[in-house]
Parts: sequence; C-alpha cells; structure tokens
Amino acid sequence: MNIAYQGEHLLPGQLGQFFIVLAFGSALFSAISYYFATTNTNKLDTSWLYMGRIGYFLNSISVIGIGACLFYIIYSNLFEYHYAWEHSSRTLPVYYIISSFWEGQEGSFWLWGFWQAVLGNILIWRAKSWEKPVLTVIALSQTLLASMLLGVEIFGSRIGSSPFILLRQAMEAPIFSRPEYLSYIKDGNGLNPLLQNYWMVIHPPTLFLGFASMIVPFAYAVAGLWQKRYKEWVQPAISYALFAVMVLGTGVIMGSLWAYESLNFGGYWAWDPVENAALIPWLTLIGAVHVMIVYKNTGHAYFTATFLTLISFVLVLYASFLTRSGILGETSVHAFTDLGMFWHLVVDVVVFAIIAATLLIIRFKEMPISKKEEDTYSREFWMFVGSVFLALSCLQLVVVTSIPVWNAIFKTSIAPPSNPVTLYNVFQAGFAVVVTLLTGATQFLKYKKTDITRFFISTVLYLVFAAIITGVIVYLTGVYKLKFVFILVMLGAIYSILVNGKVLADAFKGKIKLAGSAVAHIGFGLIMVGALISAGTSNVVSQNTSGMDYGADFDKANNSRENLMLYKNVPIKMGDYTVTYVGDSISAPNHYFKVDYKLLDGNGNIKEEFILKPNSQYNNKMGLVSSPDTKHYLFHDLYTHISMAPLNVMQAGMDLGHDQETNDDANYNAPVPHDMAVGDTIQYRDGYIILEKLNKDAHVQNIPITGNDVAVGADLKVVSHGITYQAEPVYMVKNGSVFDFARKIDDAGLKLRLTKIIPEKNKFEIMVYDQPEGKRPYIVMRAISFPFINFLWSGTVIMIIGFLLSIFRRNKELKTV
Amino acid sequence: MKKSSIFGIITIAVAIAIIICTYGSASTYGTFKDADSNSGELHIIGHIDKQKEIVYDATKDANYFSFYMRDTIGNERKVVYTGTKPEDFDRTDKIVLVGQMNKGEFHASHILMKCPSKYTQDKLDVKADTKKASI
Repeated sequence: MNIAYQGEHLLPGQLGQFFIVLAFGSALFSAISYYFATTNTNKLDTSWLYMGRIGYFLNSISVIGIGACLFYIIYSNLFEYHYAWEHSSRTLPVYYIISSFWEGQEGSFWLWGFWQAVLGNILIWRAKSWEKPVLTVIALSQTLLASMLLGVEIFGSRIGSSPFILLRQAMEAPIFSRPEYLSYIKDGNGLNPLLQNYWMVIHPPTLFLGFASMIVPFAYAVAGLWQKRYKEWVQPAISYALFAVMVLGTGVIMGSLWAYESLNFGGYWAWDPVENAALIPWLTLIGAVHVMIVYKNTGHAYFTATFLTLISFVLVLYASFLTRSGILGETSVHAFTDLGMFWHLVVDVVVFAIIAATLLIIRFKEMPISKKEEDTYSREFWMFVGSVFLALSCLQLVVVTSIPVWNAIFKTSIAPPSNPVTLYNVFQAGFAVVVTLLTGATQFLKYKKTDITRFFISTVLYLVFAAIITGVIVYLTGVYKLKFVFILVMLGAIYSILVNGKVLADAFKGKIKLAGSAVAHIGFGLIMVGALISAGTSNVVSQNTSGMDYGADFDKANNSRENLMLYKNVPIKMGDYTVTYVGDSISAPNHYFKVDYKLLDGNGNIKEEFILKPNSQYNNKMGLVSSPDTKHYLFHDLYTHISMAPLNVMQAGMDLGHDQETNDDANYNAPVPHDMAVGDTIQYRDGYIILEKLNKDAHVQNIPITGNDVAVGADLKVVSHGITYQAEPVYMVKNGSVFDFARKIDDAGLKLRLTKIIPEKNKFEIMVYDQPEGKRPYIVMRAISFPFINFLWSGTVIMIIGFLLSIFRRNKELKTV
Repeated sequence: MKKSSIFGIITIAVAIAIIICTYGSASTYGTFKDADSNSGELHIIGHIDKQKEIVYDATKDANYFSFYMRDTIGNERKVVYTGTKPEDFDRTDKIVLVGQMNKGEFHASHILMKCPSKYTQDKLDVKADTKKASI
C-alpha cells in the first residue's frame, strides 16, 4: 500500500541514515587498512596507513553528521521520527533537548561513538609508532558501535537500531493509514521528568567519555602483545589509563549526585545493577594502573598488569550488555528493555574477549614475567596485593549483579539477595579495609628493598595515631553502632589520609612528583569517610509514631515507619524541628510543596527557620513523579521528599484562583450555627473565631447594589494553629430576596456563612462549616539527615585533582624517556 | 612454599568464598504456598488483584499500604507494606514482592515494579481516533 504522507520531513532522516551506513563502512575500511598497515613488512609502503587514516577521518565526519541530523530532528520537533516523539516534546527547553538526545539507547551509543572518534583522532596525532596497531583495535570497536545504529534488515533479522526510524515504521496503529496522520500528532512523549535535571545534561557525556577512553589502554596492551613490544606499551598506556579512571570516576559520582538531587529513594547509591555496571570496569582499571606502575618501576607483575588492562575493557562491554540487553529484567529499576539487540551485544563482548584471550595465550611464553620473587618488604609486592583485592571486589560485584545471566545460562531461577544493599556493603567494606590500609602502608615501603625496622616503626606509629582519631570520629558520629567491618574501613581510610598527608607534606618540600598519588589517595580516603558516615548514620527524621493500630504483630515488623503526614498549616514536631506544610507554588508542570522548618531553642524562640520545596509533577507517562529538596549545611544535609500527595491537592493547585460557587457542603461536617454579637469569640476544633466588626458597605463581585438592596459583611478573624486569617461572609437582600455568600478558608479547612441577622438581639448567625480531616489538604513526606556528606563530594574533587597531577607527571616522564 | 603461591591460594580462596556467599545469600523465587511453610524472605512474582480493595489512607496511617496479589499459580494473599503506596502502583500489573508470611498476611519489605516509562512502551496516545468517529 502506497500512501503519500503529508507534512513529513524525510530528508534529515535519510541523510542521517546515510551517515550511519557511511560511518559503519568507513570504520570497517579503516580497521582493515590499519590491520594491513600493521602487518605489512615493507616499511616504506605507507599506502595502507593513509587509507586507514582516511577511513577514520571519514568515520569521524559521519559520526558528527549523524549527531547533527538527530539534533536537528529533535530540535525542530519532527515527531514523524520515533526518537523525537519518544524522547522530546515541544515544551522542553533547549538544554533538556540535549538530555533527551541521549535518553534513548541509540543516542547513548552515538555519544560513545563520538568520544571514541575524538580519542582516535588524538591517537592518530600523538601515538606515532603505535598508531597502526592501536588504531586497528579502535577502528574495530568503532565499526561495532556503528553497527549498533544500523537498523537494517540482513537475512531477515534487524541489525542494530537506528535513531532515524519513522514513527509509522516503529509501531502499528490504524492512524497511519491516513495520509495526514501527522497533523494529529501534536506533541511528543516528552522527557522523563526525573531526567530533567542539569546533571543529566553533563553526566552522560562524562560517563561515556570514561567508557570510551577505556579502550585506549586496552588497545595499547593488544598492540604490545601483537607486535611483541611487550615492555614498551605500558609506559604510554599509564597516562591514558589514568585519564580513563579519572573521567569514569567523575561520571559515576555525577550520576550519584543526580540520584541524590532528583530521585527519591533517599540516598546517592543503591547498588543498582546500572550503578554497578559503571563501577565494575573502574575497579579493575584502578588495579591495572597500579600494577602497570609496578611493572614500569620494577619489572614485576607483568601478567597481572596486562590481564587487568585487557579485562577492564571487556568488562565495559559486558556492563553495556547487562544494562542494554534487557537481561536484568526485574532486578533493576532502570535498565533498558531489549531493543532486539541481545545477540548483537553478546557478539560485541565475545569479539573483544576472544582477541584478549587469544593474545594472552599465544604470547604467554614470551611475556617478560620475572622469575625472581618480590621482596616481602617491597612496595611492588603490596601494590600488587592491593590491585588483586580491587579485582576481587570487582569479581564480587560481577558475580552478584550477573545473577540473571547465570539464570539464563544454567536455566536456574535464583533470585537476587533479598537485601542486596547489606550484602554489597559488607563485602565491599571488607575489600575497602584491605585496600585503604595498603594505600597507607605501601607509602612507607620502597621499591625493591626497605629497611624493615624503620618501616615497622612508622607504620605502627601512624596506625596508633589513626586509631585514636578513628575512635573519636566513630564515637562522635555514632558509626560505632554499625557492623565492626565499617569501623575497620574508617580506620583504614583515616590511616590512608594521614600517611598520604605526610607524603604530600614531603612533596611540598621537594619530592613534588609524588604529589599526584598522595592527593588522589587522600581524596579516596575522604570519599570512604564521607560515604561511611553519611550512609551509615543517615537517619530518618520523619519517624512516625502515630497511626492507626493495625495489630500488634504489624508494629513489630522490621520496617520502620518513615513517612509523616502533614495537614496544611498544622505544625508537627519532627525530630528537633517543627515542620509545617504551609502552601504550594506551581510552576507548570512542577507542583512545589512549601514545607517550613523551624528549629526552636529551649525557651521556644526560633533559632533557625527555612523553607524546603520538594516537588511533584503529574506526568501522563509516569504518574506522580517527585523530586526531593535538600537543605545543605557544612556538616550535614537535610533531605526532604514527598512520598505522596492526594491528587485533589494537586488539582486544587492547578485551579488556584478559580472561586467556585458550587455547593460543596458534602465536603464539610454538619454546620454549627453560632449567634454572635460584635466582639464575640467562639471556639472551634482548630482555634477560635472573632467577629470583629460589621461592614455595612459590603460588596460582592459583579453584583451591583441598588435602591433598597442591603449587603452586610461580617469581618471575621480566624486564628488556627497560631495563624491568623480574615474572612468576610456577606448577607444580602436584593429585590426582596435573601442571599448569602459563603467565604472559604481552604488552608484552615473552614467555610463561613452569615446566615441570619437578628435585629432584636443585635446578633448575627454565623454558620461554621468545618472540614473533616480527610478532606483537608495534606502531604506525606519523608525527611532524612545525611551527616558529613560533604566529605564524599569534596573527596571526589580532591581525587580528581590527584589524578590530574598524576597524568601530568606521567606525561612528563614520557617525554624524558 | 613461595610467597606468590601462598598469595595465589588466598586469592582463589576469597574468590570461592565470594561465589559461595552469593549463592548462600541469594533468595529464591517462590509462591505464596512456599511462603506459608518457609520462614525466610522470598521473592514472589504475581499480579495485583484490582478487583479487591487496595488500602492506603494517609489520614489514618501514612505508613500502611495493603492490597491483594495473585501469584503465578493462582494463590491469593493479602499483602501488607509499611510505607506509602508507590507512585506508579496503579499503572502496574505485574510486580515482584520480597518479604515473608506473617499469620496469613504477606509482609513485603520491597515491592519491585518496572519503571512504567519503559514498561508500557509505545502506546500511541493520539486523539485522532475519537475524532475519526465524528468525521
């Protein structure tokens, strides 16, 4: 059936698809050319090399072309394209169009390919004699990445998933039989509200630069083994490995900052498989960096260095298989669903795993593995031990995260641990103890041989000192209530900070080149301290002790009651604070709930007062989506989020300003009449009401007062929970008929009417309608305090600085050698 | 024995310990029947029974949520969860519970739902269909 569709813009998509095919073809061409350039024995023949370069440049241009076409499509709201329809909408501001660009799998593959293109060009420029073999590997990876975007049918199965697929090709609906279908598709699905956060603009590019740069040390290792330049590859690879570790680490922490600021699971790290997937290769490459340095300085640990470097990149690919293939299924909240690329992703992992394994096996006998044992009191031995422990901690993450994979392979049905967070925490803490203690103790060791007595004196001295400080910190922060292993981590981290602090002090005295590692280690120690205290002693401030009695058994359940309900304008004591839900402010599509926090001193004076505005938005695609708001102090954070808000509050917020005169008595308790004289006070459940005066000249909107008409207003002052409101219900006689106009005070849950005037007693009948509690606006919120979380963030910054210093140092060494 | 071999043995021992611990701590998927006879925590996959009452009333208790779920072989139990009703609960059908039985009620410590944005993929919400009728 051929239908001439109206209004479609097919050119950008066709152009984009052309670039995808070109990117795939040119990368393949480049990989093959570089391969022959490497194996060519005629050193004077540079034709293969030039062809390889041309292929790579062409690939880089095509990758940019793909990006430009896709951006144009999203930016111009061309909803005939599935990608734009799925991930964007007209109301999205430009900076979030950037995040919607990489919300989908295709966009994030593009991002990866883009960074790999950039890195490849840097290597063409800088790698000199390494260019041919290294670029062979990178062009091969670029080929596989481009194939993920192909989206073409070959032998009846679709290879890859193209971002330029049209909406009418992506799904079936009767509407697509209409030529003018596009005129009915007014808007796209929009970006997931949780991703509408500035971290989502910069976190994915950083993370994918990290992933992409993991290939460079891998490519050097492959090149070294392939070209039998066993010893030489290590030196240049160290700088690139440091860079990859630095960027990936930054990306991971940015992700946790995003989670902390806009998700409401109440923390920054949940050991979700998606988080683990990014951490797994980071751990092995950190280990690899250390053993590479060992090898460079002493000639030991060659096999471990090579193995860890190779496995790191294979794990990057394995991690992307885990998160993108849909295999995680129910075990992860935010892994992607299967785009039909399961086996494609498997092939990607297997290709590089086979390359790595083959080279390791066939070159094993020729590897420069030292026959001599490391000395027990040498730096190299303990750095080696530390790296192996990093690899073991990675192994634990891989084994547990991969439970669905084991199920798929062995046809079992094991469920993930019912409390994975505790399991990971305890295991990873065990490894962290060893690793942090080693980052400290090895600083007192020298390469090859160390004076044993001096080593023991300084190690023990610092350890005692660290133990004292740890004791104080553990006591003051309450960490001692946790499992013993966490106290040991604290000891290890403090020890590492102290010892590396000393190294840093020495560095300033002249051994400046040691500064990088010292600073990075201090940063890592601080991260551990911050994570331990903030996660270990975070406490739910909104512990709820009220609530109906659902039976004694229920109360004994291990679940703590973490949510607190607040009626509007009714202050409630929460921990040290008095909190009040004071109002709403709406900035579509976000509904902000203003929660007032007061800290009172012993005499009831306000020591501190601030307002937090956690928000929720009602999203057609996802339902109610809430984001927290956090009060940051230097030494702790107070985090607040809405767990639930009744929809009528949200809707009431939406029609603010519309005064509806409908009969809503059903929303109130039976009215209570009071006869009042001016100056009288009546009590009601939440406070009292005073009739201050009568207004003989009352006006009601849109109703003119003429001739014999009378309009009387009662000026009422209502005091509810210490807050004062004014209301003026009006009594009117117009053309002989009697009307009265009620006034509502929604925040106090009141409706007031002036129903009768009793001239003989000079009294007035005021009808008080009181809203039953369930009908009054309320929110349910949860508040958590995170002590010393700033150690975590500042530790990260310090660690990054340390990595930068190390990169500069290693680059300088490269030039001098 | 050489130092490196000792260290190698330690490494292998830790690796084996990791695998055993993983297997030991791993939970199992089961049914409500299994939960009746089992005191440990279980994963149960099932469907929410939307015919029966789903209780969450913040004004009575902000931390009590209960509903009925039917497991894969058709047993149905009341499920109680200490906390608020998850935001996307109404849009979900299939869920995974983690928890244990307590006097005929299943006390869930976690309710796992797939992110609805990715779960209910590609529902074209086009107003054209209603318009078509009037054309």
